[in-house]
Amino acid sequence: MALDLKKFTARFIDEARDHLGKLEEGLAAFHSGVADPETINTIFRSAHTIKGSARMLKLAAINETAHHLEDVLGAMRSGGLTYTAELGRLLERAVDAIAGLVEQVAEGTIPDAADPLLCDELGRAAAAAAGEAVSAPATATPVPTPQAEAESLPPPTPTPSATASAKLKSPDTVRVSMNKLDELIKLMGEVVSSHAMLRQRVADLRAIERTRALAPGGSPTVLKDFARDLKDDVAAQELLMEELHRKALVMRMLPLGMVFESAPRMVRELARSIGKNVECVVTGTEIELDRQTIDRLGDPILHLLRNAVDHGVEEAEARRRAGKPEAGRIRLSARQDAAGVVVEVSDDGGGIALEAVRDKAVRKKLMTAEQAAALSEAEVVDLIFRPGFSTNAIVTDVSGRGVGMDVVKRCIVDDLQGGIEVDTRPAAGTTFLLRLPLSLAVMRVLLVEAGGQTFAFTAQQVAQLLRVPVEKLLMVAGRPAVVVQNEFLPVASLASLLSLPPRPEQPGDELLLVVVQVRNEKLAFQVDTLVDERDMVIKPLPPHLAHLAMVTGMVVTGRNSLVAVLHAAVLVEMARKARAESQRDKAGEQRRTRVLVVDDSLNTREIEKDLLEAHGYQVTLAEDGRDGLHKAIGAEFDAVLTDVEMPNLDGFALTQALRADERYRDIPIIIITSRQKEEDKRRGIEVGADAYIVKGDFEQSSLIETLKGLLG
Amino acid sequence: MRILVVDDDALAAEMTAAVLEDGGCEAVIVESGDQAMETLATDRDFDAVVSDMNMPGMSGLELFRRLRDGKSGLPFILLSGDDPEQLRGQEPGLAACVAKDAELEETLMTAIAEVRLPAAG
Repeated sequence: MALDLKKFTARFIDEARDHLGKLEEGLAAFHSGVADPETINTIFRSAHTIKGSARMLKLAAINETAHHLEDVLGAMRSGGLTYTAELGRLLERAVDAIAGLVEQVAEGTIPDAADPLLCDELGRAAAAAAGEAVSAPATATPVPTPQAEAESLPPPTPTPSATASAKLKSPDTVRVSMNKLDELIKLMGEVVSSHAMLRQRVADLRAIERTRALAPGGSPTVLKDFARDLKDDVAAQELLMEELHRKALVMRMLPLGMVFESAPRMVRELARSIGKNVECVVTGTEIELDRQTIDRLGDPILHLLRNAVDHGVEEAEARRRAGKPEAGRIRLSARQDAAGVVVEVSDDGGGIALEAVRDKAVRKKLMTAEQAAALSEAEVVDLIFRPGFSTNAIVTDVSGRGVGMDVVKRCIVDDLQGGIEVDTRPAAGTTFLLRLPLSLAVMRVLLVEAGGQTFAFTAQQVAQLLRVPVEKLLMVAGRPAVVVQNEFLPVASLASLLSLPPRPEQPGDELLLVVVQVRNEKLAFQVDTLVDERDMVIKPLPPHLAHLAMVTGMVVTGRNSLVAVLHAAVLVEMARKARAESQRDKAGEQRRTRVLVVDDSLNTREIEKDLLEAHGYQVTLAEDGRDGLHKAIGAEFDAVLTDVEMPNLDGFALTQALRADERYRDIPIIIITSRQKEEDKRRGIEVGADAYIVKGDFEQSSLIETLKGLLG
Repeated sequence: MRILVVDDDALAAEMTAAVLEDGGCEAVIVESGDQAMETLATDRDFDAVVSDMNMPGMSGLELFRRLRDGKSGLPFILLSGDDPEQLRGQEPGLAACVAKDAELEETLMTAIAEVRLPAAG
C-alpha cells in the first residue's frame, strides 16, 4: 500500500516555492526594519511547513535544513534571539540553500545531504539563544508544551483573521524561470542599443542646427532625411517596447492548475459529507493568468464548487427519478478567448429553482410578491447575488462559511475586473461563467467621446462596435432600439445617461454604438466619436472618489489628461431604471390581455415585453418553441407572438402544434421574424399564423395595431 | 472507519488523508480546530479524529482538550511535525501521538488499528 509520493512531490515543490517567497519577503522586512510582530509568525510557520512536508516526503536534506532554520526562527519568535544583520545573512543563506534543494527536487533528483557547515552555524545560533533562556530563572516547565510556548510569545497568539491578512499580503513575490528572465535581459540589451541610435539622432540634429546657423535657408532635404530617420528609430523603439511589455507581463502569469488542482478532491469530500456522490472534471489547467488574478480566484471558485455540490446537484433519489446517473457531475473548465480567460463551473443538476428564489426574495422582504412575479428570468437569477440571499436552509453548513454569492460577484467584478454570467436550465443544470482579463495591470481600453468628454470602456465589457444609419433607429415602447442579427438591441445615449448635453443630431448621420454585454443583457450606448483602442494601465480611484459606482478607475491618455473608465453593469442598471420610470407613467387601464412571447433572444423578448406591457398587456416569456408550447399548454393566453428560428422547436412548428390544440385553434398567433422571404410568409400562413411581421420594418404601432385588430 | 483530519497545511492534510484512504478508511479534511468543532457538532458519524499539533489559532492539543472536556469520547490521534515523544503520556485520554514523518504510513495505521481494536473487542 505504498503511497504515491510523486503525486505529492509536485504539490510540495509549488508550496515550498511559495513558502520560500514568504521567507524571503519576511527576511527582507527584517532587513529594512519594517517587520511587524506578524512577520516572524508567518516565516516561522513557513519554515515549519516546509520541514513537515519534506519529512513526510523523505526529503531529508530539505527537512534537516528547514528544521535548523525553524529552530532559529523559533528562538527569534520567543524573544531569545534578536535580529542582527549577521543573523539575517545566515538566515538568507539557509533560505537560499532550501530553495536550491527544492529546485533539485523539481528537476527530478533527490538531494543527498544538507550543507553540514550551514546546519552547524544555524544550530550554534539556536543554541546561543537556548543558552540565554536556560540562564534565566527556571520558571519555564522543563519540557515546554506548545501551549506554554504560545504564551511566552511577545505578541498574542495569531488570531485566524491575522493569519488571513498575512495570507493576502503574501503574493508580492513571484518565481520566474531563468529562460523568461534571459529573454527579458536580451531584449533590454536591444532597447539600450536602440537608445544609442536616438542619441545619435540628437547629435545629427545639433549638426543640422549648426549648419543652418552658418548658412540660413540651407537645403531642406537634410531636415527631411533627419525626420525620416527619426521616424524609423521611433517605430523600431516602439516594437521593442511592445515586446518588452509583453514579456514582462508573461512573467507574472501562472497556470490555472494552481487553483484547479484541488477541486476534484474537495468536491468529492464535500459531496460525501452531505451524503451525495459527485465527481468533478477539470480541464484547461494549463491556461495562464496573471498571478494577482490567480491568487484571488481561489475563494470564488471554491465557493461556486461548494454551491454546485450543495444546491446544484440533486439528491440521489431525485436524480434517479429524473433518469440521470446517480453520480452528479461538476465541470470546472477554463479556455482562452479574445478578451481574456473564461472559467466555467457547471453542474448537471436541476437548475436554479426560479420559483423558490422568487418566494425567498418575498419572504426576505427584498420585494413584494407582485414585484417578484414581474421579474424576468435573468432578474430572478440575479437575486442570488444579492447580499444575504441564499436559496437553501442548509447553506450555512456547507456553502455558507460566511461567504455568499454576493462576495463571489464582488470579487469577480470589482476586484478582478471580470464578469459573471449564469445560465440555468431546468433539469439540465447550471453554469456559472466567469470572464477574466489576462492581466489586471494593463487592459485593452476603448476610448470614446460623448457629450464633449472622453470616456473609457474596458474591452471585456464591449461586445460590439456598430455604425448604424439614423433611419434604422426604431422606437419600441417609447424607447429607441435597433435590430442587429435578428434581435432587438435597446439604445441609450451615453451623454444623456450621464446628464451631459447631447450633440445635436444631423440628418443623414450615422449612429456610433458601443454594445456592452452584462450577463445576457445587451445595451447599445450611443456615443459621438471613437477616439482610440489601446492597452492602458488602469489606476484605481483615490479613496475619496471610491464611492462612485459608475467609474471603475482612471486612465491617463497621451496628453496627460485623466479619463474615467466606466462601469458597464452600473450603466445598464441606470438605463433600466430610467426606462422603468418612464414606463410606469404610461401603463394604461386596458383589460389585461395575456400574451405569450416566444423568442430565443433575450433582448428581443424583453423589448417586446416592454412594448406590450406599455400597452397594458400581461406578458409571459418563453425562450424557444418547446418552452413556448409547454407554457401555452400550462396556461391560457389570448395571443401568441413567436420568432421563427429557434432551437428545439421553430416558430412554424410551434404554430402548427398550437393550432392542433383545441384552446389555441382560434387564438391570434403572430410570427415576428427577420426573414423577409416570400416562401416563409406563405409557410407561416400555411401552418396557421394570423400575421407575419418582419423585424426590419418593425414599428411598435404595426405590432400593436395588428394585435388589436386580431383580438377585435 | 470515518476519520476527521484536521490540518492547516493542505498538502500535509491530503497526504494524511491519502494514507488513511490507502488503509481503507474514509477521510474528511478540515483546516482548523474551529472547523473541526463545527463539523463534529453537526456530524456525529466519525470514528476518530486525526489532528495536526501545530496550527494557528487553536492548536491540536487544545482541540483535543476541548473535545475531551465536551465528553466527545472520540479517539484522538495527534500528529506532530516535531518530536511527538515529548507529548506522549502527558495528556490523559490521548489515543496516540504520531510523528509526521516518512514512517507516517506505518505509525498512523498502527495507531488507527489500536483505536479500532477496543471497539471491536
